[in-house]
Amino acid sequence: MTEQEIIEITNRVFEESFEIEKEKLHPQAHIFQDLGIDSLDVVDLVVALQKSFGVNIRNEEKVRNIRTLQDIYDFIAEIKNEKERQSY
Amino acid sequence: MKKYDDIVVGSGISGLTMALILGMNGRKVLLLEKSPRIGGSVSRFYKRGIPFDTGFHFTGGLDRSGILHDILLVLGIRDLIQPIFLSEDKAHCFFFESENRLYEIPYGIENIKKKFKGYFPGEGSSIDRYFDKVRQVCAHTPSMNLRALDSSLQLHLEEDFLSLEDVLNGLTGNNVLKALLSGFAMCYGVMPKEISFANHSRMCLNLYESVARIKDGGDALIRAYETKFKNFDIEIQCNKYIANLEDIQNKRVGRFILNTGEEISAVNCIFTIHPREILKILPEQHLSKAFISRVSSFESSAGFFSVFAVLDKKYNDSDFDSTIVSIFPHTDVNLLLDPANTGASALVIMKSIEEERGKTYRTINTFEPSFFEHVEAWKDTKTGHRPQSYMDYKKERVEKIIGRIVNTFPKYKDRIKAVDSASVLTFRDYLNSPDGSAYGVKQKISQFNLLGKLPLRNLHAAGQSSVLPGIIGAMMSSFIVGRTILEKEKYNKFLNQNLCN
Repeated sequence: MTEQEIIEITNRVFEESFEIEKEKLHPQAHIFQDLGIDSLDVVDLVVALQKSFGVNIRNEEKVRNIRTLQDIYDFIAEIKNEKERQSY
Repeated sequence: MKKYDDIVVGSGISGLTMALILGMNGRKVLLLEKSPRIGGSVSRFYKRGIPFDTGFHFTGGLDRSGILHDILLVLGIRDLIQPIFLSEDKAHCFFFESENRLYEIPYGIENIKKKFKGYFPGEGSSIDRYFDKVRQVCAHTPSMNLRALDSSLQLHLEEDFLSLEDVLNGLTGNNVLKALLSGFAMCYGVMPKEISFANHSRMCLNLYESVARIKDGGDALIRAYETKFKNFDIEIQCNKYIANLEDIQNKRVGRFILNTGEEISAVNCIFTIHPREILKILPEQHLSKAFISRVSSFESSAGFFSVFAVLDKKYNDSDFDSTIVSIFPHTDVNLLLDPANTGASALVIMKSIEEERGKTYRTINTFEPSFFEHVEAWKDTKTGHRPQSYMDYKKERVEKIIGRIVNTFPKYKDRIKAVDSASVLTFRDYLNSPDGSAYGVKQKISQFNLLGKLPLRNLHAAGQSSVLPGIIGAMMSSFIVGRTILEKEKYNKFLNQNLCN
């Protein structure tokens, strides 16, 4: 999966599942301060990302440290790479 | 407008526990129940004067080191409950028709290991590894420890993402052993390929350590709660539910409108009902699509077709004691819990001696996995007004089940009598559950359950769909939410006051 695809799918989750305007979705946008997600929405966000990317996301430190959209892109890329490595 | 600190919606074991935790901590609580009486699936029903259990039959955790023992201690009702421990050497028996062989499962992990190694001499190390893994998962699970609860810790172990089936396949190639190790799936209603190894372990550990019934069944639990409620500011109102939420500001609900039109104000409201029923109450404009999609995608756990039977009073079976016998036609547990299964089904047979008004009854309650799909044709009908085709369906199923019981226990021929039966629709309508399932939502791998604060932040979710099914899981969910509402310091003080060890 390319970086661009990850960005597109992640942004679609924010647009469609949280109804956040496309213009706000730049990589440095802070998901809590700029996008209005609150800490209790994170579970719904994780579930939506799991579904969109077909991956399992463990409830761990890395998830709790996510702040910006770029953090999410990096996090997903890491999981996806890990998954691809395992399938070889 | 009447004012409360907290409203608890639903009076099953989770709602009762929630109300008591809050009441014991000085809060003014309103407990709402949609049915005419409290207790949900924990309560018994009586037919011809004979008591039968609806949804609560046996439990683990009542031994002195068990979690249920601790929970009841904290709630101050341990002394009001009388456990009846099942026979330690054969509490649970599995009969595989395909092998024509009976396996007796004792309790106490060391006892089980010894017994299994006798049945499967070449599998010693896989048996050890299995039980080590179960213990390890539970040791790392905060929701199994009253002192370490934390609602933010769903899905944190690797075993939360491995299926029971995959883990068992990695341990052994013996299909009978695998089926025996996954046989307790009947106690949570999810196929081995769909449940995580972690949740399977959390459900089973208590049952591996001890198996007990409670004298007078779930009614004894309900009476114990009612007795305790009298000491606190807890008000029960039946035939009532929340119809509307009003005055919603800053993601908080100000006023709760009941079905009777009454208006209530409360700081918090805790829903211990099915997640799909919670979703119906929350106004859509306050929910994200992600939340709606998450809750809507929860599937149903297995339900049961149940036959409630009794042995002829004149027949004095001296061997009759409280045991659980599961009959499996074969070792494919996935198929036995598959709604599409059209072949032979599993039966869980529970024998117990009941005393009521000076009379002794030998009851045999039998549960056959069943799903909403089986009764969908009659889904728009209500109890008491079902068509003949439904009556015929029930009659046929009852006869088949009684036939299989007699096959297993030939001495009961002509001495066993079906007193009543219940389909998935019966359970749906009597328990106000949307799907009639026995264990709430299906606990699937990588699923984040609905637990704790909801999108409207003074509303919370608890119940058997929130952490784990069964009474222990349901009660633990109330402790988790209780800890949030009371806050950590007060919660810890509450524990320490009541849990002296």
